[in-house]
Amino acid sequence: MSLLKEPDLGTPAKPGPATVSIEVDGLPVTVPEGTSVMRAAALCGIDVPKLCATDSLEAFGSCRLCLVEIDGRRGTPASCTTPVAEGMRVSTQTPKLEKLRQGVMELYISDHPLDCLTCSANGDCELQDMSGAVGLRQVRYGYEGANHRDEKTDSSNPYFDFEASKCIACSRCVRACGEVQGTFALTIEGRGFGSKVSAGGTDFMSSECVSCGACVQACPTATLQEKSVIQLGMPSRSVITTCAYCGVGCSFKAELRGAELVRMVPYKDGGANEGHSCVKGRFAFGYATHPDRVLTPMIRERITDEWRPVDWDTAISFTAARLRDIQSRHGVGAIGGITSSRTTNEEVYVVQKMIRAAFGNNNVDTCARVCHSPTGYGLKQTFGTSAGTQDFRSVAKSDVIMVIGANPTDGHPVFASRMKRRLREGAKLIVIDPRRIDLVRSPHIEAQHHLQLAPGTNVAVVNALAHVVLTEGLVDRSFVDERCEDFDDWAAFIARPENSPEAVEELTGVPAEEVRAAARLFATGGNGAIYYGLGVTEHSQGSTMVMGMANLAMATGNIGREGVGVNPLRGQNNVQGSCDMGSFPHELPGYRHVSDDVVRGVFENMWGSTLQAEPGLRIPNMFDAAIEGSFRALYVQGEDIAQSDPNIKHVHAALTALELVVVQDLFLNETAKFAHVFLPGTSFLEKDGTFTNAERRINRVRPVMPPRTGKHEWQIVAEIAQAMGYPMHYDDPGQIMDEIAALTPTFAGVSFAKLDKLGSVQWPCNEQAPEGTPIMHMDGFVRGKGRFVQTPFVPTRERSTRKYPLILTTGRILSQYNVGAQTRRTANVAWHPEDVLEIHPHDAEVRGINDGDEVVLTSRVGATSLRAVLADRMPVGVVYTTFHHPVTGANVVTTENSDWATNCPEYKVTAVQVGLKTALQSAMAAE
Amino acid sequence: MSPQIRMLNDIAVQFQHQAPEAAAAAIAAHIRAFWDPRMRAELMRRVESEPQMLDPLALAAARLLTNAQEGS
Amino acid sequence: MTTTVYVPRDSAALSLGADEVAADLERKAAELGRPIRIVRNGSHGMLWLEPLVEVVTERGRVGYGPVEPHLVDDLVAAGLLDGADHELCQGVVAELPWLRDQTRLCFARVGVIDPLSPDDYVAHGGLTGLRRALAKPPAEVVAEVIESGLRGRGGAGFPAGIKWQTVAGTPDALKFVCCNADEGDSGTFADRMLMEGDPFTLIEGMTIAAHAVGATEGYVYIRSEYPDAVRTMRQAIAVAREQGWLGQDVLGSGLRFDLFVRVGAGAYICGEETAMLESLEGKRGMVRAKPPIPAITGLFGKPTVVNNVLTLASVPAILAGGAAAYQALGVDRSRGTQVFQLAGNIARGGIFETAFGMTLQELIHTYGGGTRTGRPVRAVQVGGPLGAYLPADGLNLPMEYEAFAAAGAMLGHGGVVVFDDTVDMAAMARFAMEFCAEESCGKCTPCRVGSVRGVEVIDKIVAGQDPDDNLALLGDLCELMTEGSLCAMGGLTPMPVRSALLHFADDFSPRSPNGGGPR
Repeated sequence: MSLLKEPDLGTPAKPGPATVSIEVDGLPVTVPEGTSVMRAAALCGIDVPKLCATDSLEAFGSCRLCLVEIDGRRGTPASCTTPVAEGMRVSTQTPKLEKLRQGVMELYISDHPLDCLTCSANGDCELQDMSGAVGLRQVRYGYEGANHRDEKTDSSNPYFDFEASKCIACSRCVRACGEVQGTFALTIEGRGFGSKVSAGGTDFMSSECVSCGACVQACPTATLQEKSVIQLGMPSRSVITTCAYCGVGCSFKAELRGAELVRMVPYKDGGANEGHSCVKGRFAFGYATHPDRVLTPMIRERITDEWRPVDWDTAISFTAARLRDIQSRHGVGAIGGITSSRTTNEEVYVVQKMIRAAFGNNNVDTCARVCHSPTGYGLKQTFGTSAGTQDFRSVAKSDVIMVIGANPTDGHPVFASRMKRRLREGAKLIVIDPRRIDLVRSPHIEAQHHLQLAPGTNVAVVNALAHVVLTEGLVDRSFVDERCEDFDDWAAFIARPENSPEAVEELTGVPAEEVRAAARLFATGGNGAIYYGLGVTEHSQGSTMVMGMANLAMATGNIGREGVGVNPLRGQNNVQGSCDMGSFPHELPGYRHVSDDVVRGVFENMWGSTLQAEPGLRIPNMFDAAIEGSFRALYVQGEDIAQSDPNIKHVHAALTALELVVVQDLFLNETAKFAHVFLPGTSFLEKDGTFTNAERRINRVRPVMPPRTGKHEWQIVAEIAQAMGYPMHYDDPGQIMDEIAALTPTFAGVSFAKLDKLGSVQWPCNEQAPEGTPIMHMDGFVRGKGRFVQTPFVPTRERSTRKYPLILTTGRILSQYNVGAQTRRTANVAWHPEDVLEIHPHDAEVRGINDGDEVVLTSRVGATSLRAVLADRMPVGVVYTTFHHPVTGANVVTTENSDWATNCPEYKVTAVQVGLKTALQSAMAAE
Repeated sequence: MSPQIRMLNDIAVQFQHQAPEAAAAAIAAHIRAFWDPRMRAELMRRVESEPQMLDPLALAAARLLTNAQEGS
Repeated sequence: MTTTVYVPRDSAALSLGADEVAADLERKAAELGRPIRIVRNGSHGMLWLEPLVEVVTERGRVGYGPVEPHLVDDLVAAGLLDGADHELCQGVVAELPWLRDQTRLCFARVGVIDPLSPDDYVAHGGLTGLRRALAKPPAEVVAEVIESGLRGRGGAGFPAGIKWQTVAGTPDALKFVCCNADEGDSGTFADRMLMEGDPFTLIEGMTIAAHAVGATEGYVYIRSEYPDAVRTMRQAIAVAREQGWLGQDVLGSGLRFDLFVRVGAGAYICGEETAMLESLEGKRGMVRAKPPIPAITGLFGKPTVVNNVLTLASVPAILAGGAAAYQALGVDRSRGTQVFQLAGNIARGGIFETAFGMTLQELIHTYGGGTRTGRPVRAVQVGGPLGAYLPADGLNLPMEYEAFAAAGAMLGHGGVVVFDDTVDMAAMARFAMEFCAEESCGKCTPCRVGSVRGVEVIDKIVAGQDPDDNLALLGDLCELMTEGSLCAMGGLTPMPVRSALLHFADDFSPRSPNGGGPR
């Protein structure tokens, strides 16, 4: 494929049917009302010259290149800012216009470096293109006049340069930062000829800039340019693929020069991101070629031995033999595996198939266990399906947005930008979070209500919200009567006085009046949408909370149309997919219980193997069973359980107890320290398959380069299964998807061919919905009727005590991802070189802690040290850290507590103490 | 405390609001749907050896599991 | 008996020591045991007489001016407090031909009343227009303004009633009335004098507009260079609220309307209506593309009336006297009165409100008294820094929109700046470009870069560098700026340049090396 230049129609599409007919240079075109003349012209194939216009931004009208003449109108209006009117006759090329456009270009070029041939944007520069398009032949002003050619370049950002001397002051970067990203880090400083793009008066790196790349993408010249393009040159071909970071699942054009990846550019047709990106997906892909990548299989007898590089055949036969040996000695159920939410659906599918069919047991789990397993449980119980209800686009129709236990601007930045756009349009915002996350107050956005609850009291708050809805007569009765069941029992429960905002005020710390006001707003403010993250699920009542939110959504009638819904913000790129693909020990692909004889029969038939009807072990159960002795071998694909899972001491003990640990990963991660076999995996740039994002969107992942390890991950797995005596063979990943489609009703209509044709589809995709299902439960719930489930609040066992008086909650930040295996191997470390402990100034003061001090964090299970940062966005009594760096080991202190229904760990509530490191050391020395 | 005892108690407390019989049945159903057989077996051993560690509702649910297993 | 003495509080008078004059009068009268009451009025607009002190006598208000502070003692000694004759005594002010010959509608009360006295205001006819308006349905008020022929006084001359009709016809729960008081044109000061001298008239006009279009909130956007006007407007708004002229129930009519003052930050461009709206929203003063027009998508995206001070201040008189009476004044499509401001090199500068149609010649020579230097008039710029330069032999031009347009000029905000025969018109043309370069918001290319190149090209022409090519280039640039600029700032900058080139071509011939002028 050659370099893909997406058409730019100049101004954004306007909604509505095409009803206005005009004529452009004699060509008829019919477009929706409100469409610009420029876009209408572009739609009939006429490109009006332009520089300040681009279809990702509202028309601005500043460059004055797009002037046109319109019959019956005076002057030469700008086509970008002039809306079409019925019967309009537009001329885009006349001698007068030609002269004006040349005049404009003459002015531009009189203040521009004349270094086209050595410029990094040579060949990809709109200024250059427009000079050609308008036929500029001379610059009569000369080049000696006032100019900006000596402006200094700002190279502070690790990924792009700002070469101010090339700036044409079109404001596209400033507008992109505001309109697309919503950060408003950029502005125009000064006025007139002195107008300069400025990152708030400082350099880019010291500014509010979040390095999303929207400005770089918007820049029509070389002014904002990727450093990689400056160093490597212009790419020559594009491959459309999907980002492998968070659950937003952005589509990108991977742009290459030969075999070398030059840059990742967000793809405008990407359903999830519509042309936007964040610092991770846009820039942080360098880990794929990082020297730490292991490219050769390695084995060793004992974990104290040195690794021994071997060929693939040796590694595969070694693994298969050891697994079979352990089974022969300890039973079929003595081995198991963990699928990865970072690999493709096809890769996940073959791993769980290997476990169920070749291992012969159901000991398969996935990292969703430790993040969104309560979502799966809770939404299945209430709605009938283990997935979010909406597509991302839906948020543009929301009137009240409730964000619970999620920090989208850091965790899901591209979706956050969409949400912020809607909030700037006037949607109301309710944030439920112990921390004052950025969304609570950021440029042009302010939450109407921030319910700053004590960690661990989510269920009490959601019940109180529902209590207000019910007792104040705000229930959507017709929705409930028509679409739901078990309402009356639930209503009787939720109406109990102990669920009132007043009753739980002391416990939750949220003023009752604030809860009441928020409930009223949510119930009466129009389309109400709930977005939530791990602050909901990673609690001992995670599943209860998910059901509590589902109850609230049903009671207010906020399900089954655009703008509403209950929406998990998924952590990893393919966490939805890995769950869909049957990664849970009790469920076959498509969320069907292993005890269902009919379903199991279908799989047994297709797989030619007898399957177990009993659920297998979950990850924490595997650890327990390993320590207890009945579980002896673990196959871990792409997950660093030794860093990411809670109560690390316990995890390490379990891993040490195992006879065989097989790690399939890009890097020798923390888990690999306990491994006997290391099978090098492939980065997303090498993969061929699909990822499914948080909106159930199945996106193609296309190989940008062949596997650097010599083998696709699905091939490795199939070969191990083969070596274990179970026949498994695929020619290509498309065949795997065909098998998935054949076995899974919600995927019945999915194929690589369809994905290539449509770009992406959202499951369910089958005969009833051949092009997928953006919004679920439109005409009825998947389970028939929506079910109200009673959600009593049961406090966690984890309490603050005199010894551990603070509550630790954990999360992540924008520039880093999960355990940091990828992002720590990129320049993103410039933003977050270490994990820090955020602590309220009051809590710090009473402990004698100053900003930047090294502190020790202790819980009843462990201790770690890190630097303290004083932050008044923390409530008193709560501290916060991230888990991106293994050296910090935040999970050393987290406990074995977990969600009652799914065993999802309670990462968000740990009783801790914090003390100055030096004081603690001297105290220890004194003892 | 054994993980099985801890987890069962965690589950049981969520069903305290229901009538005891229905609650025990729901808990037992949950265990059957989500627990590996060896975990259930271990639980049964614990039920025999240290029933005092279990919440009464948990114990009732565990008894249902035993019966069901005997019955199957 | 207490003698009433008027000492203006207008900033033109203040800059000439009016506060000191008032204090000295107070002191002197006390010394003499003469009880006096000093009223701080606005200025009558005869700036050559400021500070103009008026004493209430049986004959009427007898004026003395210009009263410099050091003259107070002598004047009082000479019987000023009794209206005695003196070389500075101007006689009864209202009978001065300069004032007598005017038709003051906007400025009827300016200089006459205490600007912050609600009683004075009502006693001199204030609120008549508003009461009449409130008694009518909004549509009839709009119709009356349309019928009056009132056009926007800010410069563009768009029919005010039509604009109001658009706002009235755009349904929205929230609408605004914004008064553009960012009076930045050179040689203009009428907005300021009205706000300082009769702020209630502006408030009344805006309230009528609010009733007519269904607005509930109003903003007066005043340039920061007008601190006295800002203070007076704010005080007047507070008084109006107390009086029930603003607020939840205006004059008991049920109309809800409140008004706020916002102060600019020194950018000429914020006098452009869309840049003003941006500034009012707290953003950088940068021009918006039109459409959408502010009447439909204005302040904070809501339907908004944006009118100049004089436009809004004309409304109470229209409603009070009826559209027909207003419409009866003026000529052709320029109806009613315009407040002309005489400035620059002129003997008698100030405010002259008269019906459209008087010639520029008459205004400058009969009332302005020719140049202050006594030298012949060479050029006159009407309509601010972006207005055309008219040659001395072209002054026989009736002061009305269309006649000016036909002459390649514009009336603008009614500012008239006079130059004598020492003016260098190439320098003035250069200044036009320089002014544009200085004040451009920087959004559109023709204005941002073009104005800078314009200065450079004129310099080259004057330096004799390829004059023919560069004159052609200047012509092309002027055409580009006129046709291609986003707003009137860049679009009108060529007007003074082209008029200078047209009427004073000789000034553009190459200069001698010693820098001397062409003559």
